[in-house]
Amino acid sequence: MRTTKLPKWLLLLAAALAFPAEAQPLKIGAPQPMTGPDAPFGDKFKKAYALAVEEINGAGGVNGRMLEVVIEDHQAKNALAATIAEKLITQEKVLVLTGGRASGQAMEIASVAQRLKTPYLVDHPSADMITTKGFEWVFRNNPTGSIYPSAFNSFISEYPSAMPRSAAVVYDNTLFGKTIAASAMKFLKSKNVPIVGDEAYPVNTLDFKGIMTKVKGTNPDYLLLVAVATTDAILLTRHAKEMGIAPRAFVGFGGGFGVADYASQLGPLAQNVFSSAAWSGNPNDPRTKAFYDKFHARYGIWPHEHEVEGYAAIYIIADAMKRAKLTGNLDADRDAIRKALAATDMTTVFGKVKFGNWTGPTGDPFTNQNIYSPEHSVLAQWRDGQLLNVWPKAFAETSVVFPEPGFKQ
Amino acid sequence: MSRTAAIGWAAGVAALAVLPFAVRNVFLLHVVILVFMWTVLGAAWNVLGGFAGQVSFGHAALFGIGAYTTIILFLKAGVAPWWGILAGGVAAAVGSVPVGLICFRLRGPYFSLATLAVAELAKLVALNWEWLTNGPVGFLITTLPPLSLFGHPVDWEAKAPFYALAALLMLVALGSTAWLSRSRLGAFLVAIREDEDAAEAVGIDTVRAKVLTLALSGFLAGLGGGFYAFYFRYVDPDAVLNIGLSMEMVFIAMVGGLGTVAGPFIGAVFLTTIGEAVREHFQVGHLIFYGLFMMIVIRFLPEGIWGRARLAWARGRTGARRHGAA
Amino acid sequence: METLVQSLVSGLLTGSLYAMIGIGLTVVFGVMRIINLAHGEMVMLGMFAAYFSQKLWGIDPFVSVLAWAPLMFLFGMLLYRTLLRKVVPGGELNTLLYTAGLSLLVANLALFAWTGDYRTINLPYGLTPMRPFGIAVPAALAIGFALAVAITGALWAFLNRTDMGRAIRATSQNREAAVLMGVDVERVAVVTFGLGTALAGAAGVLLAPSLYLYPTVGELLVVKSFVIVVLGGLGSVPGAIAGGLLLGVVESLGAVYVSATYKDGLGYVIFLLVLLYRPAGLFGVGKS
Repeated sequence: MRTTKLPKWLLLLAAALAFPAEAQPLKIGAPQPMTGPDAPFGDKFKKAYALAVEEINGAGGVNGRMLEVVIEDHQAKNALAATIAEKLITQEKVLVLTGGRASGQAMEIASVAQRLKTPYLVDHPSADMITTKGFEWVFRNNPTGSIYPSAFNSFISEYPSAMPRSAAVVYDNTLFGKTIAASAMKFLKSKNVPIVGDEAYPVNTLDFKGIMTKVKGTNPDYLLLVAVATTDAILLTRHAKEMGIAPRAFVGFGGGFGVADYASQLGPLAQNVFSSAAWSGNPNDPRTKAFYDKFHARYGIWPHEHEVEGYAAIYIIADAMKRAKLTGNLDADRDAIRKALAATDMTTVFGKVKFGNWTGPTGDPFTNQNIYSPEHSVLAQWRDGQLLNVWPKAFAETSVVFPEPGFKQ
Repeated sequence: MSRTAAIGWAAGVAALAVLPFAVRNVFLLHVVILVFMWTVLGAAWNVLGGFAGQVSFGHAALFGIGAYTTIILFLKAGVAPWWGILAGGVAAAVGSVPVGLICFRLRGPYFSLATLAVAELAKLVALNWEWLTNGPVGFLITTLPPLSLFGHPVDWEAKAPFYALAALLMLVALGSTAWLSRSRLGAFLVAIREDEDAAEAVGIDTVRAKVLTLALSGFLAGLGGGFYAFYFRYVDPDAVLNIGLSMEMVFIAMVGGLGTVAGPFIGAVFLTTIGEAVREHFQVGHLIFYGLFMMIVIRFLPEGIWGRARLAWARGRTGARRHGAA
Repeated sequence: METLVQSLVSGLLTGSLYAMIGIGLTVVFGVMRIINLAHGEMVMLGMFAAYFSQKLWGIDPFVSVLAWAPLMFLFGMLLYRTLLRKVVPGGELNTLLYTAGLSLLVANLALFAWTGDYRTINLPYGLTPMRPFGIAVPAALAIGFALAVAITGALWAFLNRTDMGRAIRATSQNREAAVLMGVDVERVAVVTFGLGTALAGAAGVLLAPSLYLYPTVGELLVVKSFVIVVLGGLGSVPGAIAGGLLLGVVESLGAVYVSATYKDGLGYVIFLLVLLYRPAGLFGVGKS
């Protein structure tokens, strides 16, 4: 048989023609609040996504193709979030959606994603409703609001004499606040803890002194505070302490209690306040530590919940894309990625990820909710301006300070 | 109706019918639907603010009543959304009557402040009366009822049915405004707007006129709210009852042209295009431009874009000045 | 009993600062019949002024207020001269809408310039409250209260003892008569607007250490200030003081004895009732 030697350029041309998709980036759409009062959060996600994409692309991309995150501004408005999700799906032709930030916007994005058959990986929004509607195109990595208090629940159950003798709960009148408060109170009631205070306040209340005066009158053993907004978290704590409330423990639920601003603005008033959040980082894990240091080196700020969630989301998506067979047909690819997401079984900086259908603390069935979510809930405590994990013991960085020093029996 | 107006209407309806076939881009159709929805809302405000001269800062409350009525009727009573939207309009109109009876005792800026308070109270109710509104959790429509028109099942994932509905609502809104401008009630409103005391002196029942107008305004706003619930499928207090919505309605009506029929449409087009453009290309909030344009319009273009255009055209045509009342 | 007293004290302290915001608004209305929806933004600017002067130059807000108040006065005059003067003749409603636009503009420019990050001013002596008779009195609020009283006193003296002050009161009572008496009402208008802005800005500076700062805080404050001004009677300075204190106490007691959820609603309901049945204010001294 005679073999013909083909000129090199012909071979290269053939190669280029045979793999035209090589230049096509893999697009991920991310609606985030980039302007307006929620903008600081959108910025966190932007930084996190950028770092993840840089790392993945630097290591050769996903099966040779580069990732690209397209962020669009929804200004914390539900209708805009829906508009943008549609735009990302139909105009930008993204393969996957992530982001959303606040639950109201996430609900719209989930609704659009489900209808337009595009996978949506929820990274931060916490309303249980997003994954209890049976949407097979929507996946969530982070814990829901009702799961948030898990670590706190286990702490009071397992730590010696930590079970509250009474509890006052002050929470904001939002989806977030109500869900968490309801979940926490449900657990406390199941342990026969009297709820001596149940105060819902409107978001961005200027003055909590009135509420705190009332709460002081009930002399609670534990004071549980829920705040979606950082400002509320700060003022709640400040006014509670100003009014002289002195429980055995202050416990904060919500992003506002876990951000650096909280400690920097409150100074010594933040000392020993517990913060129950979706993640404070498992410091015993070398990957987490590496991420922490790299993020700090790159951006000059320490990452918390939001940054980690965004970073992990990109990695989860990349993992799914790697396993999915992408043919270039948009609809088929989106479905392939959906199937790949459903088969996810990996560990990210955020924690272990596997999506499943199970029943949550509210009694509603979850679809595609991370089955490890209850483990992701962590109880941390502020010490000298640093937020350190204290419970569960496996993730603890330091020992618990409890009860509050100076607590009078 | 004058010949020009008739031609205008015919051309408009023809354009509406052709558009969805000419525009294939799904996202662009979505923007067009938004423009239609905002036109309805702007027209709603215009009826009260432009024709009757009563500046309300609380129209979001009427929008919210429409949205909640539609979605609650569908999710709790299985009432199909297209009837629900109508019910939303009626509910908002009915709800506006006690508000009007209370607030219309006040004049000018006092009225405006009162509407502000009423709207904020409405939001508080929506947030806290969970038995009715589900509180901050809100309502989500996951599946829409099947419907067949002319033997074809309607595809709710396509834009066409919503486009048709939005266009219909817009025609209703603009049509009502046109009717109002030519009716006796409309004439009363002009009188009230110019000098309420004189109108009273002439024997016009100003309270009745204002309440009827508010009811119409509420009806239209409620229709808009019902459409929002149907199209966006998720209603929570912050999305449908916030003061930003009220201000946007004012803005559309003012920039388009108070007291004109086409004004709200022009205003809606303007607002939506500027909003999208700014959002995309500038990392600046579009609200800066809303505020700026509001100020510019009041200072230099109090008749609004359309109002000024009509004045210029009228002046060009006949060489005489005409009052831009209807 | 302690709860009641604590509630009253907190309410009065906060109310005094609300009152200052209200005085600025009412004075402007009394003289010029302008309902300035951008008033809340003036307070916001004052808050940020206090924040930056503390952050960048280390000046305590209670000291910097002495500089910021006159600056805000000049700023207000400038604002009136350049932006408002031509619009005012267009009528009350036009001006209302115009100031609504201005409010949107200023708040969003601030949002753009300073981002939505929440900031607080931390005063080292403000951390632990004073506890006279076991009632918690936050230091920053107490000092703010004292200064607010001082500034109001100075305003009182100005309005009653100086020529310009009398001119302002005259124009407020009866504009035509004032013109006939030879008062330069245009000049009075400019000065009054400056005054209103200065009071708002000063209130912002004094409030900043007790609250937190974000560019859209004006939205919340402006509604409160309208409630105050209507309660006390539009145009009446003593009315605004009483209204501010009253609102502070009502909100405080409301949060404790009624419910935190509805405490804002309480304010709105009272507002509507007063508008309907006592439009001249609770003390009947307001103008329609």
